[in-house]
Amino acid sequence: MRIERLILSNYRQFRELDIHFATKQDHDLHLFVAPTGTAKTNLVNAINWCLYYQEPHLTADSQLLPIINLKAIEEACDDADQEVKVEIWAKAKKDETIAFVRKGIYRVRSKQPVHQKTEFEVRVTDPKGNTKLLIDEDAHSYVERFVPQRIREFFFFDGERLDSYFREATGDKVRSAIFQISQIDLLDTVSEKLDLVLRELLKEAGKESPSIDATRANLEKAENSRKDCLQKIGECEKQIDMASARIKELRERLVGMPDAQTLEKERQDLGAERKRKEEVLKAKEAQKRDLLFEYATIIPLWLAIEKSTQVIAKKRAEGEIPPTVDKSLLEGILNEKVCKICGRSLDSLAVRHVRDVLEQVTLSSEVAQQLLRMEHPLGMFEDKVKDFEKNISRISKDIGDLKADMGRIEESIKKINTALSGHNTEQIREWNEALNQFEGLRADNQTRLGELKEAQRRVDTEIQRHKAELDREFKKVEKVKKLGKEKVFCAKALDIAQKTKEAILQEMKDKIEYETKRLFLELVWKKESFKDVRIDQKYQISLIHWMGWECLGTVSAGERELLALAFTLALHKVSGFDSPIVIDTPVARLAGESRENFGRVLCQVSKDKQCILLFHDDEYSSNIRKYMDSKAASRSLFRLSQDEKEVKMEVLSNA
Amino acid sequence: MPEAPDRIYIDEDDRKLLEKIDGDPEQLFSHDAGRSRKEQFLCFMAFGFRHGVKRPIEGKKDGLFLVKDLRPEDEALINAVAIYDSGSVDVLANISRVYETAEQYARGGMRLLLDSIESSQTGTFEKKLEKELYEIFSNIVDKQSGGVKLGE
Repeated sequence: MRIERLILSNYRQFRELDIHFATKQDHDLHLFVAPTGTAKTNLVNAINWCLYYQEPHLTADSQLLPIINLKAIEEACDDADQEVKVEIWAKAKKDETIAFVRKGIYRVRSKQPVHQKTEFEVRVTDPKGNTKLLIDEDAHSYVERFVPQRIREFFFFDGERLDSYFREATGDKVRSAIFQISQIDLLDTVSEKLDLVLRELLKEAGKESPSIDATRANLEKAENSRKDCLQKIGECEKQIDMASARIKELRERLVGMPDAQTLEKERQDLGAERKRKEEVLKAKEAQKRDLLFEYATIIPLWLAIEKSTQVIAKKRAEGEIPPTVDKSLLEGILNEKVCKICGRSLDSLAVRHVRDVLEQVTLSSEVAQQLLRMEHPLGMFEDKVKDFEKNISRISKDIGDLKADMGRIEESIKKINTALSGHNTEQIREWNEALNQFEGLRADNQTRLGELKEAQRRVDTEIQRHKAELDREFKKVEKVKKLGKEKVFCAKALDIAQKTKEAILQEMKDKIEYETKRLFLELVWKKESFKDVRIDQKYQISLIHWMGWECLGTVSAGERELLALAFTLALHKVSGFDSPIVIDTPVARLAGESRENFGRVLCQVSKDKQCILLFHDDEYSSNIRKYMDSKAASRSLFRLSQDEKEVKMEVLSNA
Repeated sequence: MPEAPDRIYIDEDDRKLLEKIDGDPEQLFSHDAGRSRKEQFLCFMAFGFRHGVKRPIEGKKDGLFLVKDLRPEDEALINAVAIYDSGSVDVLANISRVYETAEQYARGGMRLLLDSIESSQTGTFEKKLEKELYEIFSNIVDKQSGGVKLGE
């Protein structure tokens, strides 16, 4: 099914707009280019309003305005009805023309539109010209055959969706997409109903037998615990998926960036180490200064020290040290001729004898005592001088080592400064902090998940035990035997419904995985870089590099958007709804080569599917134009009228 | 015998030179760097002795520190200088002369040191001093290598 025509009447900025979507050669590609404020996005809203009576992409400005065109309000007479109308004419494969038409009737009073009613109809015209008019439920069910409301977001969307789809947690999104596409809600309803019937049966049986009632109550309790447990497991897995995606994203951002947090910590540690070394160096230098000062007092006196030492040694050798005779005492005795010890006068013989002794004594006892006192300190100085070189060298070496250490520290700090220069260290630190937080969150949840799974296993065993007990009780009590047969039937039907649902989901997942891979590898510009696309049991999508590793986190924005597009197209194919794809701002988030490549891919996609692309004028750059202009079946430009109340379309080319 | 002096003197004019040295806490000989007056005096004396420069106190005598603060090892150095200077141990019997000799060498040494400090670039004086001490030490070692070993 493709859109042949889109007619807008009084819809927001569009007073009257009639767009024909003709095909050209191989490409069913339609381009709309619009400057800011020209309601390009409202074209997507118009499609959604017509089909689903919803406007999911309204901007904040548009939300404040009435849906009916402002000029139409202005021109309306008081109390006159004005009509907003959007028509989508589509062509089905059997050559049927289907027109989806929604009308909103507004009564204008004092220039204020008041909603009166909204009508929706579908007109189906067969190739012979017979037209069938469908309204109400019939009309809505026809929409569901075109693009079901629940999966419309895979057909009419903003390019942002492609950019962000695989940047965040994917498991839940992919699962939900596959679930929606699989349309297994009927099986869900059947399961719920069967479960309800089963519970009622058990309650009824419980009335007949207290033991059945007690076991039923226990079973219900255990089943509620299981439900609770599964819900918590789901939340936990969601947290793990979210944390994993954020970790992946942050690691991707941090690739090639310095580890600012570690480096800053290292720089701080080095700074502290440098300060500590500085203090030690200061102390060592002071120590050396003290030592130099000490030696500056001794070494220059070496000759004096040496001479005194020699004199003392000689005097000691001659027996003058220590002194045996007091020279001054003898001199006093001779002068006074009286013995200072016994008080007797000296005769001539005694005087001669004292004089002889005095002649032999050259050193006074006072001087000898002084020399004696000098002997030890001088020896100490000699020893000290002997150690001069050793002591100074040791301390100089310590100082040299400290300076070398400080030089190395300085060098390391310099390297860190160089590594960090030119980077937003605050931002990097924030990312690293966030990375640590998410790693912690993931680890916590993984632990909790383990505990919850263990709890689930215990509850499952308990449920099995209660069920077996119930089976036994049903066999024992005669009155409930019939109910027992019904119970078995219900339980089996429920089991089949659930298994069927799982089987369908698995089959859809496999098909989507296959189609996504096929489309991605077909469309990707670097053909040799990738070898596989996988969707695992947890619905996590992985892109496998030809070398075998998972590389979704490191591919370019263009390749990531392409994967999202391939996934979306795979969903289209598997869902069986061959409807057009309408993308608002398809390449706005891409630049350079990625934009060019993606533009080329969209051209290729338009060979098999109608593609309606709404570009912002900046986005429709020369590298996009050079591929698309020649292939586009139609190119149109939106312009805002001078009074800014109406958008007009200028057709630049049409097939 | 003349009475032994109770303190060691410097020339009153040299007080200014001393204050000049003291002004810099980074200076090896500075009072602010923790050197006592007695330690400063002994070091100046050693410097004067090394260079054979003696300068008698010409102006008014200004007491630097008390003799009682001298320890036996300080006295041993002062005595050794006096013995070397006079050529006789008998000088020790005249303690006034011993101190006078020390004061004269200290006065000469103080001026020499100050000149050396002032003529050195910042931070190089200590290196110069270290080098000079090494030279003296090498001479001592050389002189003794043929005879009695140093410290034996």
